[in-house]
Amino acid sequence: MTPGADLRGSRGKRSWQTGAALLFLLALPALADDAPPPWSERAVRSHIDFSTLGGALTAQQLDALVAAGRALFTARFTTEDGAGRPMATQAIIATKRKRPVDAAFRRTAGLDANACSSCHREPEVGGAGDFTANVFVSEGFESADFIDLDPQFSNERNTNHLFGAGLIELLAREMTADLRRERDTAVAEARRSGKPVTVALASKGVDFGSITVRPDGIVDPSGIEGIDPDLTVRPFGQKGVFTSLRQFTINALNAHHGIEADERFGARWTGTADFDEDGHGEELTPGDVSALVAFQATLPSPIETVPADPAWRTAAARGAEVFDTFGCAACHRPTLPLDSLAFADPAPFDTAGTLRTVEVQEAATYDLGLLAWAKTLPRNDQGQILVPIYGDLKRHVIADDEVNQLANELLSQRFVERDTFITAELWGVASTAPYGHRGDITTLDAVIRAHGGEGRTARDAYVAAADADRSALVAYLKTLAIDP
Amino acid sequence: MIRAALAFAALVAFAGGTSADPAAPIASDIPHFVNEAASAGVERAYTGPWEFFVGGGVAAFDCDGDRRPDLFLAGGTSPATLYRNRSATGGPLSFEAVDLGLAEEDRTRVLGAYPLDIDNDGYMDLAVLRLGSNLLLKGGPDCRFEVANHAFAFDGGKDWTTAFAATWEANQRFPTLAFGNYVDRHAPGAPWGTCADNLLLRPAPADGPVYDDPIRLTPGYCTLSMLFTDWNQSGTPSLRVTNDRQYYRGGEEQMWHVDPGKLPRLYTAAEGWRHLSIWGMGIAEADLNGDGYPEYALTSMGDTKLQQLDNEDGGEDRPVYRDIAFDRGATAQRPYAGGDRRPSTGWHSEFADVNNDGLLDLFIAKGNVEAMPDFAAYDPDNLLLGSWDGTFAEAGDKAGIAMPLRGRGGALVDLNMDGMLDLVVANRDGPTSLFRNLGMATEWGTAPLGNWLEIELFQPGPNRNAVGAHISVKTGTHVMTRAVEVGGGHASGHSGFIHVGLGTAERAEIRVRWPDGEWSHSYRVFANSFVRLERGKAAAELWLPEPPPF
Repeated sequence: MTPGADLRGSRGKRSWQTGAALLFLLALPALADDAPPPWSERAVRSHIDFSTLGGALTAQQLDALVAAGRALFTARFTTEDGAGRPMATQAIIATKRKRPVDAAFRRTAGLDANACSSCHREPEVGGAGDFTANVFVSEGFESADFIDLDPQFSNERNTNHLFGAGLIELLAREMTADLRRERDTAVAEARRSGKPVTVALASKGVDFGSITVRPDGIVDPSGIEGIDPDLTVRPFGQKGVFTSLRQFTINALNAHHGIEADERFGARWTGTADFDEDGHGEELTPGDVSALVAFQATLPSPIETVPADPAWRTAAARGAEVFDTFGCAACHRPTLPLDSLAFADPAPFDTAGTLRTVEVQEAATYDLGLLAWAKTLPRNDQGQILVPIYGDLKRHVIADDEVNQLANELLSQRFVERDTFITAELWGVASTAPYGHRGDITTLDAVIRAHGGEGRTARDAYVAAADADRSALVAYLKTLAIDP
Repeated sequence: MIRAALAFAALVAFAGGTSADPAAPIASDIPHFVNEAASAGVERAYTGPWEFFVGGGVAAFDCDGDRRPDLFLAGGTSPATLYRNRSATGGPLSFEAVDLGLAEEDRTRVLGAYPLDIDNDGYMDLAVLRLGSNLLLKGGPDCRFEVANHAFAFDGGKDWTTAFAATWEANQRFPTLAFGNYVDRHAPGAPWGTCADNLLLRPAPADGPVYDDPIRLTPGYCTLSMLFTDWNQSGTPSLRVTNDRQYYRGGEEQMWHVDPGKLPRLYTAAEGWRHLSIWGMGIAEADLNGDGYPEYALTSMGDTKLQQLDNEDGGEDRPVYRDIAFDRGATAQRPYAGGDRRPSTGWHSEFADVNNDGLLDLFIAKGNVEAMPDFAAYDPDNLLLGSWDGTFAEAGDKAGIAMPLRGRGGALVDLNMDGMLDLVVANRDGPTSLFRNLGMATEWGTAPLGNWLEIELFQPGPNRNAVGAHISVKTGTHVMTRAVEVGGGHASGHSGFIHVGLGTAERAEIRVRWPDGEWSHSYRVFANSFVRLERGKAAAELWLPEPPPF
């Protein structure tokens, strides 16, 4: 499909602010002077008008949006699209370079990829990446021009897969809502009682520590665990520092491709439509970003496969048992319950610079339950979807004095210390080697042995176990695959 | 200033050009202000004859411990009124009048007020500026006040007091107070050339605040605003004074050395201080270019001055300033709407980020003195939005604050705790304006602005609220600074949370230069939070209104 072929529209400057009601996506014409010839070197051949997105999408409309998103996800952006950021850094806040870059592409400070799918491609588009597809994460402020691979300048990161990402974001949203409700209840109770109130923070069975609220509304956040003090569950990125697919997408487009989404880098926030000074303004509309979000959000959930080999089936069954007895499931929770499959975009807990629900008249909402793969997800007796995530969406210290291979970064990221990462979701782990946040661990056995810190007990149990049980655990993990 | 300044048109012409072009497109969010004064129950007018052509102040501060700004409004010949803030979080503004517990004669003839905790008891006190005896009101729980002139050995005097500023000098438990006085009406030849002296009151060595030995700041030049400001980063603030040329003879703008243990003395021409004579009405300070040295907006009749330390002519150790108002589009010398092309009359000035884009904006209250024929009769308040190129763009009309009223004092404070600054404007002979900031207007309603922080400072011991501190908020490579001060503006001040717009930043690092010059470590905070920074504590605490806005 031609990128965006069914969703053509004008760039619609700041059109998201109009919040117009849903129009029929398939009927949108392309502007005549905006249509490039067939031989054009533009990868983004038309833009999606965000004002056409709002309210509940039908399956057909969602299909069209996802197709447009896939086209953008696989598009090899060119300078004619606005790829490149000669006077802007990779930072998530619009940040000027001190001087123009001498090379448009650079594996360190970027540009470092032609398309999203350049790295997110194993076992298929939207998947993970080999070590060769690692990226170098620097916040892009003080060391905007770094050219050195020395880890003092950046953290080297492997590419995560995005399958099931929509479910992850929905889980995170519900958990954020739960935690804030608990906080708000504590605030009300402290004010009512005139006494300090300490309340445990937990959602979906995951413990996030506690807060203490004084009667005057002052909150002591020091007891919060594994999450930021604003109680936003940020499920994306190896450190768990990005709130939504929308935020992550905008960050990545700028960092890796120099494609600057108007909703963050446009005139509203920077005073100019062409912040990166590459001669292209409004490089990606909010509608384009929505399409990319829809593509990622609807990627199928990884599955637990049933091996054809009887011996593997037997070993995997034993592996599932030791997964629990070793203590792996304490953080790698096999399932988290989800109340609703309704995915609203823009999202509710983003902050300015990523389009927010409160900035539109009506967010586009699509029911992931319309998708065939989602219909197969198990439910509990309360009707909740049991998302087979093998994670807890919580950050943990993953290294200690003796076992510290995973503390191999020198830079903290977004206030998260260097030895702390969000629990890696294990769904799809059979399809996404190598392992570890740097992608420098080639086997499951080795990455289990690398767990220190809060993962140390389970790791030690694994190491002390019989060979057969260790092998069984690997056999089990090897069933958690992205459906080819 | 009160009478016509006939030479003024020539001055405006010489200043030339225009200030911010009202027709120029504004890329950043324009906040949508709606005047909710009537529905909020605040309709106080500032009234009175000639002596009350000036003044008209607002003090915004928390008097009942809920951290929401309550409002004390000067009334001139009408009684001053205290309003308790009953606004719901993020909701419509709502206030109820509170009995101040003051005698009727103490509530009238009030020109302005500034909040500060003079006696370090945790309750905000008020310095009340009056025509006649000034008052120091000692605050107590639940918005109760008592006159503390006797308790603090404070002689309120008989002057026509129009300005105030305060600072905690080094190693002092209690603040040093500065009162700025206007015309000495009783002097021979008044009002021309008969400006009263200003006063500096240092606390006596005592267990409590004792102000029994005022120092006269002679000469006074009919002061309308004053501000303690650390203009050169010396750690010792000086007293900047803006004066009304309408009545002084041979006067000028002033700045006093106020060095601990020494008598105050004026900066001199030999030190670099340059003669400037304006109709000075209000001072606002902000570090616009992030160099650590504040810029000053001085309101006047006609051109607003925007002064920047002139490093080329003076260097950083000499108070030599150049006016950058024209270059920055901040002269605001004529009304931007309504068609009246006569020069403006500016009063309260205040820098703040009203659209949360990370850039400072400038509010100027405007209004004809009374009926001065050479000056604009319709003279709407300015809302000059800061731009990334350093200029300002007028948005008062689009923002909804252009009113046919004569503005005087004002305050930009978050009245409903939603992270967006609301605006109070006291108007002469007109109802107080109480503008609620609803965010950015859209075709279907309003939407929130950029990210924000609101910061409360606390230090143990004297000066609990850290007056004199400087706050540095860093997002990426962008640094925003705020000074914690008591003074400036036009007869108006506020205390409480210090607001900082963050634009698209999701988090920030805050450092505080406490009043004694000691820098804090870096506090890591997330956007859209009320944070409390207590000196000596390792991490920021949070404050949540009820119900929380997010």
